[in-house]
Amino acid sequence: MTAATGTRPAVDASRSRRSSWQAVAAAALIGVAGWQLIVWMSDGWVPGLDEIGVAVVENLTNVDTYTGALITLRRLGIAFVGSTVIGVVLGFLMGLLPSFDAFWRPLVVTGLAIPDPVYFIVAILILGTAETVSLLALTLAVVPFVTMIVLGAVGSRDRGLDEMAKVYRLSRSRYLTDVVGRQLVPGLFAAARTSFAFSWKIVVLMEALTQSNGIGFQIYNAFRLLRPYDMIALAIIFILIMQIIERAVFAAAEKRLLAWQR
Amino acid sequence: MTDPFIEVKELSVFYDGTTPAIRRVDLTVDEGEFVAILGPSGCGKSTLLHVLGGLLEPSGGIAEIQGRRLGGSVTGLPPIGYVFQDHRLLPWRTVAQNLEIVLAAAGIPKEEWETRIDRYLKMLQIDRFRSVWPMRMSGGQRQRASIARALAIDPAVVLMDEPFSTLDEVTARTLRQELLEVWGQSRRTVLFVTHSIREALFLADRILVLTRGPAEVLTEVTVDISRPRIYEDPRLTEREAALVDLVMEPWEHTAASGEAP
Repeated sequence: MTAATGTRPAVDASRSRRSSWQAVAAAALIGVAGWQLIVWMSDGWVPGLDEIGVAVVENLTNVDTYTGALITLRRLGIAFVGSTVIGVVLGFLMGLLPSFDAFWRPLVVTGLAIPDPVYFIVAILILGTAETVSLLALTLAVVPFVTMIVLGAVGSRDRGLDEMAKVYRLSRSRYLTDVVGRQLVPGLFAAARTSFAFSWKIVVLMEALTQSNGIGFQIYNAFRLLRPYDMIALAIIFILIMQIIERAVFAAAEKRLLAWQR
Repeated sequence: MTDPFIEVKELSVFYDGTTPAIRRVDLTVDEGEFVAILGPSGCGKSTLLHVLGGLLEPSGGIAEIQGRRLGGSVTGLPPIGYVFQDHRLLPWRTVAQNLEIVLAAAGIPKEEWETRIDRYLKMLQIDRFRSVWPMRMSGGQRQRASIARALAIDPAVVLMDEPFSTLDEVTARTLRQELLEVWGQSRRTVLFVTHSIREALFLADRILVLTRGPAEVLTEVTVDISRPRIYEDPRLTEREAALVDLVMEPWEHTAASGEAP
């Protein structure tokens, strides 16, 4: 009886893993079938899975892919850190200070509505085509998303803990770090993931529009040279890199910082 | 005659400047006394505790602890332990860390932390949970940790706001009994808010009975039953019946009160 009770969760976990893999396999199969259907309907313009497979291998063995990926990752890192830091500070202060919120909210909401290419076009018109200008535009394009997520997390914090902090007279720094700050961790992860995802999408757009190197430029170049298989192969490679970073950095940090929830 | 330890005179609190929560409440508490504040749900008894805890400013009248007036800055006020209806522990900190945080805030020297944490966790019988996150404990264990936190800072007064109301009856009874034992050892002044007549009679030396909201003082009852007390004591049952008779009419919802039942 005891043994049966002890093995039950392990059996459930094993079943859950198996059904999860089955779902992934089914989704992949549907995706492959759908893609192949599009290939047949496109009069040869859309590359088949075999062509894409060959292009992925070729690009993986080409040093230019890694050079481009490193350039893009550097830009992505700068924009990610910049937009996350600015967005977190803005969202935090807006959530705690009503007057600060009153001033910044209209600007942030307007920022959300501006199409991404407009940031680059305006930045280029005002400041020129230097890489730093594009990075500034990229950072500014992502900041409103991060700000709104952090603002929401600050607003929905547990006010009961605010009362506890007040009655026990916790210092301002302890209150901001241990009471408010720690409650924001799930929101901060959401903000960081959003920032990362948007930064990656927009950095590729920025490279296509304004730069002569990086994965975005290489994808755009492949499009201009009518090599759709390279376009897709480069996108697949970079998506895989992003997934590895997401799992190695964000998922691992989240597991560690939110261990108390489990 | 010495000054009372806690003194509340004609205390009024208005929400939004117009809606009265409590009206002209008087209360005195002596050092080491266990006083219950009894009133129906929503009458404003927690508001009174909020004022004494420095969470709300009085709209009128005065509230003093050890001669220090409440309202405005908390600098110079004596330390206050507060046990809320829910535990309000920081869930990302272990039980011991939760105590350390308030000990640091109360200016207790670091050398004393270990001794105090050990003492109060043992007193509340949760010393085996000192390195455990609160979300991995039961409701009763969390509330024990919350009481340990309140006592660890050597508070001038412990304010308790219906701390057992969310627990099951068996756990609540055990904790009431243990609270009296802990109080017997520490002899802190306790102000205990409840809507349970039996709980108030079992725990307190004196009961301040409030009216329906906005709260006014209806009467004050001295519980002249010796300690240790037993929850099923027929004398408690007798006094409970008398108190129910007394509050039945004033607590009953009437159309004139304008409040939802």
